Amino acid sequence: MEFTCRDCKYFNNDPAALERALPGLNALSSAYGSTRGENGICSKQDIYLSPIKSCRHFKHFDGG
Amino acid sequence: MEETKKPMGWKELYLKEDWWAIYLGLGIVAATLIAFYTGSPLLKSLSVLPPSWTDFSKLVDHFSTNAVWYALQFFIWLTVFSISTKILGFKQSEYIPSFIFLYVLSILIFIIGEYKPLSANGFEAPLVALLIGLFISNTLPIPKWMDAGFRVEYYIKTGIVLLGATLPFMLVIWAGPTAFMQATIISVVTCLTIYFVAHKLFGLDKRFGAVLGVGAAICGVSAAIAVGGAVKAKKEHISITITLVTIWAIVMIFFIPYFSRMLNLAPGPVGAWVGSSEFADAAGFAAAVSYGKMVGNEEAAVRAFTLMKVIGRDIWLGIWSFIFALIACLKWEKEECGTRPDASEIWWRFPKFVLGFFIASVIITIITSGYSQADYDKIIKPELIKPIKSLRSWAFIFCFLSIGLTTRFKELAAAGKKPFWAFTIGVIVNATLGFILSVLVMGQFWIEKTAQ
Repeated sequence: MEFTCRDCKYFNNDPAALERALPGLNALSSAYGSTRGENGICSKQDIYLSPIKSCRHFKHFDGG
Repeated sequence: MEETKKPMGWKELYLKEDWWAIYLGLGIVAATLIAFYTGSPLLKSLSVLPPSWTDFSKLVDHFSTNAVWYALQFFIWLTVFSISTKILGFKQSEYIPSFIFLYVLSILIFIIGEYKPLSANGFEAPLVALLIGLFISNTLPIPKWMDAGFRVEYYIKTGIVLLGATLPFMLVIWAGPTAFMQATIISVVTCLTIYFVAHKLFGLDKRFGAVLGVGAAICGVSAAIAVGGAVKAKKEHISITITLVTIWAIVMIFFIPYFSRMLNLAPGPVGAWVGSSEFADAAGFAAAVSYGKMVGNEEAAVRAFTLMKVIGRDIWLGIWSFIFALIACLKWEKEECGTRPDASEIWWRFPKFVLGFFIASVIITIITSGYSQADYDKIIKPELIKPIKSLRSWAFIFCFLSIGLTTRFKELAAAGKKPFWAFTIGVIVNATLGFILSVLVMGQFWIEKTAQ
């Protein structure tokens, strides 16, 4: 079993949350479109990324 | 035992607005075809639009005659958008009141934009929509939750699918490769200029340079949030790119049409110029429609714009994103790459609404190919194309208004001098090269192609 950012409590790619976190995103684009893919924000490193294999900061969203 | 979450995969068929734009756009095309073949006047009546006017009493007559059709049209838009946005995850307690506000304001925009003394002086409906939207969002206390109904991208994507139904597919075949070549030259030059100015000259992070570069070169904020994820950009850098793209896109919506009007340029080359030098589809359509209306040939400007922007730039975003992901992984962060980029990302990041645009274009091209030009003008245009164009105008005006209503300047991130100048130098290079290629070098080509 291989964890990715999707399983990490620091990663958030919910489109509504992304549009709140990135002001102006919905003015000329959208977090609900295909081109974003599943990109999201890692709150631990404050970066925006595609889900990758779990890194050293990984914490399971269930708390594990 | 902890479980792993699966990728979204084909769930995007109902979780991404691109697919909903396809369903809605092709649904309208299908309904129009059924009405056309059965001889039903329903779609023609439903696609009612406020007319051009100077005499206010005639406008009142129009609305009193068509009040029921406006009500029915509103109800259908609301129903379809409500169902789809609910599945996408929006609260209907927010979407519905917001869309009601948007629809009523859209009627008002059409009325102002179709007032002949105003439109004759360059105050076209798209520009009026943008200005009024910007005024409202930046001066009045419009609650943030109303953004639920101001879905710029959903509306423009729906409009683009409908546009496909009015664009002969042979034009895509004949002019598409030229549009691609021209757009690629401009995109590569713009992207490299910004990257080198940002990274080599100003010493900004290379990921930031890449995000700024694709923001100006490909498709604005959508490119920034695609490539930004591929190169693992800082969140702050995405926010700054959004600010710069938004401000310059709005400047260009006004600059290109009025500058072109001053030079009395033909609509085809100007549409191509907008297509190569505007940063976002929504902003580009606002500029192209405005100029087309100013010179009395909206279709020529919109067709050239669409070929250049959608075919020439948008559909290659997945490849740009994949290339930057490879560069980031193999060159910038060899030690800590995480996951090697997967070529399937090219498909998942493909702007799917373009498929709807192609399908609509192919369907209508096949259906109309059996008609002579005289029959096309006499039967197809008024009975089949006009209702689709009218509904497309509604989708576009929802979009243009939404741009204004969601652009709150005080909420945008502060950009800083270096990113501002790196991006601005790219904008100057992009606009100049776009003008040279679209107007001076290829001008005649765009005039001929968009005249067909």
